[in-house]
Amino acid sequence: MNAERRPRLGKGIKLHHNRDGGVMLLVPEGALVLNPSAAVALELADGKHTLTEIVDAIVERFDVSADGARDDFEALFDRLAQRGFILQ
Amino acid sequence: MIPRPLSLLCEITYRCNLQCPYCYNPVDLRAYRDELSTDQWCALLRDAAGLGVVQAHFSGGEPTLRRDLAALVREASHSGLYTNLITQGTFLDDDLLAELLDSGLDHVQISIQAPQDAAADRIAGAAVHEKKLDALRRVRRHEVALTLNCVLHRLNHDAIGDVIALAEQLGIGRLELANVQFYGWAYRNRAALMPTRAQVRHGEEVVAAARERLKGVMEIVYVLPDYFGEFPKPCMNGWGHQFMTVTPNGYVLPCPAASAIRDLRFENVRDRPLAEIWRDSESFNRYRGTGWMPEPCRSCERRELDWGGCRCQAFLLAGDAGLTDPACSLSPHHPIVVALREAAQETELVARRA
Repeated sequence: MNAERRPRLGKGIKLHHNRDGGVMLLVPEGALVLNPSAAVALELADGKHTLTEIVDAIVERFDVSADGARDDFEALFDRLAQRGFILQ
Repeated sequence: MIPRPLSLLCEITYRCNLQCPYCYNPVDLRAYRDELSTDQWCALLRDAAGLGVVQAHFSGGEPTLRRDLAALVREASHSGLYTNLITQGTFLDDDLLAELLDSGLDHVQISIQAPQDAAADRIAGAAVHEKKLDALRRVRRHEVALTLNCVLHRLNHDAIGDVIALAEQLGIGRLELANVQFYGWAYRNRAALMPTRAQVRHGEEVVAAARERLKGVMEIVYVLPDYFGEFPKPCMNGWGHQFMTVTPNGYVLPCPAASAIRDLRFENVRDRPLAEIWRDSESFNRYRGTGWMPEPCRSCERRELDWGGCRCQAFLLAGDAGLTDPACSLSPHHPIVVALREAAQETELVARRA
């Protein structure tokens, strides 16, 4: 997969910030509870940031390795893309 | 601990111009004519958002028959709610669609009755199939999520492959193929609507193949028929756990079909705040969690997976909403479901031949 892809949220997909700081991805007929790093990644999935930039931001803010984060978030975006929640 | 509600189904009217025999709306439709006002719905939406709800579904009946639909969508959207319109699409013209999108509508779900107009119009009781296709094409052109829905039953189940083909042709990204659930009008008509085992098996094969072929292009949600599974559906993900339904006249129900439970008194937002009904009412608390469960649920490993199944179905089929759903193969009342299912097999049509 191309690291220069610029993922963005699909039609009708939204991030929701709870009052307690938690973040959910709202999709037709459902809501996915996001962990803190996934929330940051999806905040940056705006069609402007590349996957590389998103992974860099994660590595900067969380205690994770760059290689591990790249694999994890490529997989996350691919999973979400398969359901139409992410376009990339 | 009282859980946080996530989803609010607003059944804003039970009026509808169609006559689908599989409708889950209650049979005594006339009891619901005293509809909540625009202000009452708006207050309810704000209260729901305050309780933690994140999604508002506008349904009915046919919700576009309420002229204040866009105002309600706008209020929900301003309150931070994800907004979903569940419609049969016959009134979704350019003007109404533009107004709804401008109000912040996030998702439209349009239902068809069958893939071809003659069959579809026969089920709907009106010549509307072409209008629905127009509405689907119209919505497809906009920046809004779209789901095509087709309720499956004996009369259209064999056309499942054609429904998928139609969805492909229309460029639909999300298709919901939901077998009829037997409540309200559908309960009354269940003998005629029950699919045959051969139809269900064929349906599963067609869906599995289509999912494989359309991976990443179309998401296909397939809801199994209730009377055919080994275990019951996890109805509402548990009673009073995540979902609330409000009827056109303001009753708050833990499940859209709950008014079928005649010995449970439901409360109305005209009499009591939504938060109290959710938290303190007898109707929401009676079957909340697992404490109410009888055997075989009480000691079952699946008790927090399927939550005892559907309370309404337990009431309708076994006469007590506090029993295990008879759709579960472990229920002592399961023979009732088996008998209903098998009776439908015997009434299969035989084609004439020499």
